[in-house]
Amino acid sequence: MRTRLRFVAAAGLLWLLASAPAVPAQEAKLAVEEHTLKNGMHFLFVERHQTPTVSGGWAAHVGSANETYGQTGIAHLFEHMMFKGTTTVNTKDFAKERPIMEKLDAVRAELAAEYEKVRAAKRLGEFEGEIYDPEKETPRIKELRAQLKKLQDEQSALVVKEEWDGIYEGQGSSSKNAFTTNDVTVYIVKIPANKLELWFWMESERLRDAVLREFYAERDVVREERRMRVESDPTAAYDEQFEAMFWTATPYHHPVIGWPADVESISREQGEAFFSTYYAPNNLTGVLVGDFDPKIARELAEKYFGRLPRGQKVPPVIVTEEIEQLAERRMAAAADTNPKVFVRWRTVPAIHKDSGAFKVAAGLLQGRAGRLYKSLVEEQGIATGEPGASAGWPQRLGGYMELDAELAEGHGHAEIEAALLAEIERLRTVAVGEQELQRVKNQTLADSYRRLEDSFYLMIQLAYFAGLGDWRLLETSTSRVLAVTAEDVLRVAAAYLTPERKNVLWYSRKAGAPEDPELAGLDARGKGFVKQALAQLEAIADATQLAKAVEELRSMGQQVPAEMKPAVDIAVRRGEERLKKLQAATSSEEAKQ
Amino acid sequence: MTRRARILIVVTLSLSGVVSVSGAGEIPDRPEKLVFKPLEYTPPAVGDARFQLTNGIPVFAVEDRQLPLITLTMLIRGGRLLEPTGKEGVAALTGAAWRKGGAGDLDARAFDEKLDFLAAELSTTFEDLTGTVRLNVLSKDFDQALALLVDLVQRPRFQEDRFALEKTDQIQLLKKRNDDSFEIQRREINRLWWGDEYWRNRLPTQASIEAITAADCRAFLALQLGADNVTLALAGDFNRQEMEQKLNGAFGSLARLASPVLRPPRPEHAPVPGVYMVDKPDFNQGGVVIGHPSVEEGHPDELALRVLQEIYGMGGTSRLYLRIRAAEGLAYSAYSRFTLPLGGMPGAFVISFQSKSSTCIRATQIAREELKRIREELVSDEELKRAKASLIETLPDSFESPEVTAKLFAQGELLGRPAEYWSSYAEKVRAVTAEEVLKAAAAHMKPETLVFLYVGNTADIRGGHPDHAGAIEDFGPITMVPLRDPLTLAEPAATSAAH
Repeated sequence: MRTRLRFVAAAGLLWLLASAPAVPAQEAKLAVEEHTLKNGMHFLFVERHQTPTVSGGWAAHVGSANETYGQTGIAHLFEHMMFKGTTTVNTKDFAKERPIMEKLDAVRAELAAEYEKVRAAKRLGEFEGEIYDPEKETPRIKELRAQLKKLQDEQSALVVKEEWDGIYEGQGSSSKNAFTTNDVTVYIVKIPANKLELWFWMESERLRDAVLREFYAERDVVREERRMRVESDPTAAYDEQFEAMFWTATPYHHPVIGWPADVESISREQGEAFFSTYYAPNNLTGVLVGDFDPKIARELAEKYFGRLPRGQKVPPVIVTEEIEQLAERRMAAAADTNPKVFVRWRTVPAIHKDSGAFKVAAGLLQGRAGRLYKSLVEEQGIATGEPGASAGWPQRLGGYMELDAELAEGHGHAEIEAALLAEIERLRTVAVGEQELQRVKNQTLADSYRRLEDSFYLMIQLAYFAGLGDWRLLETSTSRVLAVTAEDVLRVAAAYLTPERKNVLWYSRKAGAPEDPELAGLDARGKGFVKQALAQLEAIADATQLAKAVEELRSMGQQVPAEMKPAVDIAVRRGEERLKKLQAATSSEEAKQ
Repeated sequence: MTRRARILIVVTLSLSGVVSVSGAGEIPDRPEKLVFKPLEYTPPAVGDARFQLTNGIPVFAVEDRQLPLITLTMLIRGGRLLEPTGKEGVAALTGAAWRKGGAGDLDARAFDEKLDFLAAELSTTFEDLTGTVRLNVLSKDFDQALALLVDLVQRPRFQEDRFALEKTDQIQLLKKRNDDSFEIQRREINRLWWGDEYWRNRLPTQASIEAITAADCRAFLALQLGADNVTLALAGDFNRQEMEQKLNGAFGSLARLASPVLRPPRPEHAPVPGVYMVDKPDFNQGGVVIGHPSVEEGHPDELALRVLQEIYGMGGTSRLYLRIRAAEGLAYSAYSRFTLPLGGMPGAFVISFQSKSSTCIRATQIAREELKRIREELVSDEELKRAKASLIETLPDSFESPEVTAKLFAQGELLGRPAEYWSSYAEKVRAVTAEEVLKAAAAHMKPETLVFLYVGNTADIRGGHPDHAGAIEDFGPITMVPLRDPLTLAEPAATSAAH
């Protein structure tokens, strides 16, 4: 079955009706040809003949949101596994590899049982720290690790490293990569136009004949990736926890890269099950953009991908619904970064009919002609740079609206937060004027063309949107914005951007060398506790509330283990000092009046 | 050539037009058995795109009517090279404040709003050796946006309140200087290679930024905004004849510079080989940069070096990547290359990776072993073939869009790349032999002059890993590099050279 669609920015017409200059906007003509195989695999083809290259990609409609507890990170780990070859690629002799892989699984299973003992010991308080810390391995675990290493070395001798990549590169391909998001996993490459068939061979073979070799070694690479992306980044580790706070029930709660302990324990068997469920052709979309003939591409798709059997079970749907946020949530972090404030609300999925209204709301606020810059930077002078407003990355299960601003020297977090919220209040109560609304729509229209300029990027967007459920998001994400009215903005702002549904993140710059002398005697846990407690106390501007918080801390001091007591005491003392200052300030205010 | 590329695949169609589903037997078990026609690709010719304005400004125009957008870029030779001493940061500040400070009859806000309503993107930036003014707009609005661009070039306002804001922003940026490992690596390796006195290493401080006035920015622009010192790149939905007229109207009156921009001076500093360490105890991953100064684009060995770097350290099948990432899982990313810059900047040979602290030494050992091997043994035919194919068949990527093509040409002319560079590129790559690669490796990879820079938890990096022998001292004497104050760049009082 195939249909030939003409993708026209019909939105351009609407825009014409509303804007003054009567110069006709040319229509963007993007013809997307669709084709579906009998096994359910869907294809999108876009012809572009300027240069003899083809951008090829495919999306597996699976991301970290499909993962279950204990297996977080499997979608991303699996993305790495897809570069490990087949029974004929990346191997000198697969028949010899197979028994080694089985032995590896057996050792892994024993290792898993040993770690369960460590976990039990940890629950009893007989083991401290990270259970996978190499320095804390039990003799039995060391022994099993040595066996594992020996088997891996044996297999390594049979493996042709990175052969799969080498074949592509030797044939002049470039930009070969893959990425995993909450919702989708996408595999991308750019190939010379004369090598179109190579793409079909390589991509269908790694699906038809996948070998999950080096499954356990690859997690070392993933661990390094986590070190680079999360742990060595000044703010990424905090951002990860903010996400976890922000999404309660939605499976965006856990990071795409997975919780470290889960990644350590995923087995090859789980990998195989994941593959057969989510990488069946009925859960995939292939995309080609570039210098090729769609008729030939269709033939090749039938020939190569037509070999994949339809999946035996339908991938399970995600049934978890987000629960309503009942109260505002806050996080205060000290990191190597300039002081900043973020405020975020949950909004709607990318395909939702209200998604356009949030984009308009963000468009009104952001940029140098936007409201945040005018108010926070130009008029009040309390923020630096360009404060941001975003309607979020398009996602399948839910979206968000986020504001952010960096503090100008001498201004506080609470002040910035209040100024950001004042602009939200304005969105909720005052209808946007015609000219300002049109400005945002003009931007969206121009951007709808800009996003089509680069073929490789266009391929990625089509694959990603297909993975979210509909590639036509490329079109509707524009037309939805162009249809938004002033009333729509008022309505969604009032319904979603409410005070009790906000999530606030404050960053302050981590203090440098001279450490707080009072904290010097505490251990790391104690220091961490005091810093966090102080950050929370700092956030309270009202004396009565502060008194209550200090009282809570004090009663907490009665309950904590003895070694934590000094830390709590310091926090209480600091709280009292701050309370006194606050009360003094309040009473002098009152005296003035 | 696209026609030819398209008909090479044998399609199995039965006479009735029904697709005959091929049996699995027709699909080879290995991809080498697939047969492809050669890719016959001739890069677009510089001459076809080039024309000149009446005052001599070269324009490179690549027409493409597919989308109703036009991109016009002005490239300027100068940049940070022209920063006066004591006003370090004037390039970045001018880049930020120029576009944001209003122009012609419009104050900053009115200028922003007009561009914004047209949904035009207009940006100004300055880098080490160049400046860029880029406009992207729907073609129907091009004339209006061009008028704004002309005002910006000829009548910038650098409005005072905006200027003050941009200065504050630049100082805010300085504060982040020590937050990110990559930024520290970049800054310190350049100092180690080329010394504090070299122009590229004269960096802004809070004091130097505070000393800059709007008049300094105007003077900075006046040093480089001349007809003999800029090129234009034009791409997208336009008619060339019309455009020649429009651009002559817009920029034909731009005068020549009072004095030409000279080629940058050479660094005089001789790097001291050895190990240098910057302590960031919180980082649990070491950021490693290893390298030494090297040659520039246009050197007789350039193409041999491009082949060599493919094999040694670029991409997913290089020796470095295969061993550090694929075989031992020590790093997520590991690469090496020759920077081969244009326009009088010194080049460098660089190896870079991030590894957990305890395996930085091990990964360095591997890089050194591979360095030794590639300097002593001929590369294999397979490697040579793959490297050349990769360079030749990815050539179309350099011309993947009209904007990229036009800009590549404009930049080449500005910085002195010969016009025939691209047309003879594939042929030159094809001619490189394994012997030439070996000779280039021996001549341009100099293990005895390497500078090893480690940024991270230095105690853990030096501690190494129980499974691997060797100490960091094996790579040379150790110097601890203190983290300088982000605002003043002053070194902390207690500077120490370790044993």
